[in-house]
Amino acid sequence: MTESLTRRAALAGSLAVLAAPAMVAAQAPWPTRPINMVNPFAPGGYTDRLARAYAPFMERVLGRPIVQVSRPGANGVLGHTYFLQQPDDGHTVLVSALAPFVIINGMFQGARYRPEDFDILNTPARDFTLMATSANNQTLTDIQVVATRLRADPRALSFGVQAASADFVNLALWLQAIGVERSRVRIVTYDGGGPVRNATAGGVVDIGLVGGEGFLPIRQMIRPLLVFEAQRRDAYAAPTFREAFNVQEFVAGSQRGFAVHATLRQKHPDRYERLLAAVKAVSDDPAAVEALARQELETTWYGPEESNASFRRVRAVMETHAALLRPA
Amino acid sequence: MDLLIDIPAFLRALNILATSAGSWGWIIPGLIIGLVFGAMPGMSVTMAMAVCMPFSLHMDFLSGVVFLTSVYTGAGFGGSVPAILLKIPGTTSSVATTFDGYPMAQRGLHNEALGYALFASTLCGIFGYVVLLFVVKPMADIVLKVGPLEMFVIGIWGLLLLGSLGGNYVSRGLLAVAFGILLGTVGMNTAGFIRGTMGMPELLDGISTVPAMLGLLAASQLLGMAARDYVIRGKEMRRISLRRILDGCVGTFRYTGLMLRGSVIGIIIGALPGVGSSIANLLAYADAKRTAKDPEEFGRGNPAGVVASESAVASGEGGSMATMLALGIPGGGATAILLAAFMMHNIVPGPSFIDQQKDMAYAIILNNIVQGIALLFVGVAFIYAASTVVRVRTRYMLPAILAVCCLGTYSVDGSMAGPLTLFVFAIIGYLMVRFDYPVAAAVVGLVLGRLLETEFLRSMQVSGGDLSYVFERPAAIAIFALMVLSLAATAWSKRRTRLVLEEGRA
Repeated sequence: MTESLTRRAALAGSLAVLAAPAMVAAQAPWPTRPINMVNPFAPGGYTDRLARAYAPFMERVLGRPIVQVSRPGANGVLGHTYFLQQPDDGHTVLVSALAPFVIINGMFQGARYRPEDFDILNTPARDFTLMATSANNQTLTDIQVVATRLRADPRALSFGVQAASADFVNLALWLQAIGVERSRVRIVTYDGGGPVRNATAGGVVDIGLVGGEGFLPIRQMIRPLLVFEAQRRDAYAAPTFREAFNVQEFVAGSQRGFAVHATLRQKHPDRYERLLAAVKAVSDDPAAVEALARQELETTWYGPEESNASFRRVRAVMETHAALLRPA
Repeated sequence: MDLLIDIPAFLRALNILATSAGSWGWIIPGLIIGLVFGAMPGMSVTMAMAVCMPFSLHMDFLSGVVFLTSVYTGAGFGGSVPAILLKIPGTTSSVATTFDGYPMAQRGLHNEALGYALFASTLCGIFGYVVLLFVVKPMADIVLKVGPLEMFVIGIWGLLLLGSLGGNYVSRGLLAVAFGILLGTVGMNTAGFIRGTMGMPELLDGISTVPAMLGLLAASQLLGMAARDYVIRGKEMRRISLRRILDGCVGTFRYTGLMLRGSVIGIIIGALPGVGSSIANLLAYADAKRTAKDPEEFGRGNPAGVVASESAVASGEGGSMATMLALGIPGGGATAILLAAFMMHNIVPGPSFIDQQKDMAYAIILNNIVQGIALLFVGVAFIYAASTVVRVRTRYMLPAILAVCCLGTYSVDGSMAGPLTLFVFAIIGYLMVRFDYPVAAAVVGLVLGRLLETEFLRSMQVSGGDLSYVFERPAAIAIFALMVLSLAATAWSKRRTRLVLEEGRA
């Protein structure tokens, strides 16, 4: 008798437990299930580290776990395609080097999506092209020496750069500015920024162009020559493109951050706001900012308007100079 | 100062290891995870580490690094187990192990073959780390100076291996390798040109090596196996004996010269960013065969072949760790994951890490040496357990292998691209075997094709097509001269043996 009573009590109790999450779900705000964060670049890269560092702070705001989905390959084409194939209900967020890769994917790699398919929440990490030579190189002391030698003989120096990249456009713009025919210069193309950096530090190529952040770990092994940026950068004692050659136009480096489907803002404005708030919370939280800074990760808040606008500016410059980028 | 051990830092490193007892507990689990992943065809070292990385974030820094490097160490050897028992390399770095390991297994010497492989791999891995302890910084500086021409010459050296692969027809061998090299150039090349992708973005990075290799090598092998009841025919030969495994382990010490040469190849190739141990084991095998007194014994179950190819795999781990620690440059997928784990613990490897935290760098290297020693024991237990597959009937085993291959290739990037590649190349592999084309030559071509094309193109770009550039690169000339000399010496000694034999007959 007592036994059946306890059993009944237990049943009632367990029913209550089962019902509890359903009741919470009915009242709890979106999201009600985990968010997937798609990364189209290799695990261990900047975007991967950024995503993993942001996740715990975003989870606190959203109240749901964030699942990291790694889809590397083909300069991001595979991951970007995969992201766009997911339902545009806010449960899938993209972390990527949106500029310049989304733009390059469409221009040169036959990707079937357009830059308009992405709506950027924030791109905290903004890189810039740095032109540098090996610290052991005794002759190339500054950018004017380089320009003079190249004007005298376009084949005098070799340049390492990633094919079809923002750095490549900047190299082409610079050669134009100093009046040297690009097809006569020895340009060595690499598959990524890392190999260019190694080749520059080791003196395999005379000069290399890579994102400035990529050079940071081996800062003392290179001599910076020129930064393609509006202002000088603290980390590198080198003039800007405008200071040295009075040229305004250049392409900004990688802009890495978070994006959602372009249709989300109309379809689910509330969910868009929730995700935006979660990303912004990281920039607003001093503890988070400090934690990420220790990993050399950026948390600057530019917001969706500025981030999207900056992305469009990169796109405009790259499309103007599309001819420069085509493999020759 | 760079070259020799910094004694105070070394003592501090010992202290770090002694006071962080907790981290030692992660060695054995890491090794076992690595061994299992490595032994599963299609699953790579990189994947094992990518799966384990999130766990390591919840550990303290040293424990996390110990755990991940243990996985790395274990997976380095795991690939040889299916290579020897089934002629299906578990990872791309155990292709050459199949050449002599499988014939040994077929003769009932699988216990010994696995013992040889384990000790050759592990002892050379330990040796690699010991060398690293002394030369971590100068080695990194040399690595940076390696240019495209040197890399191209290394690729050519790898191609020389083809001469030693054998096969019934020279012409078909050459055709097969040309086919392999062409396959290796599919995708977007370093100058931004896209070739042979047939509009599929999945092919932009080239044909995925692991599924393609598995398809080429495994399909014909599995069909061949289907005709028999067991992988190894004789019932008596299928015995699993701990004593014979240990015999193989001890036997490894007869090949110290080979192991030393293989380790040097492994360390150098491993340290070069972007080359990887898949080429190192081919080079070491080719080198051993070329310089052997009895080259015709290779490919028929010569333990020297197993020892040579394995010696270059794990030793490469030390080399790639050197580049990673001293420059912050990942040499391959596995060290890229390790680098990320470092960064997530707020430690940035690079020149300043080596200068300022030399004790930590030493502690990591020393711990890896300990991992190697632990692997000697864990590995014996693992191969004892794993070799039971030879006692499973093929009718149960084949479907299981196929399933694992499909799962493994699917998990490479979590899409059907992997299994589809496997399927397409299984058909190609079957046809090649059917018409007597050497499949291994196509695999070597596939592995080397991209390297050859990329580095040749860059050599042309950096020299501007000017041949005199060659004279600015003494290292390339030296490697090339060494290669020619070694070929000439081999040809000369062969000729002499033949002449002596003919005289004897006359």
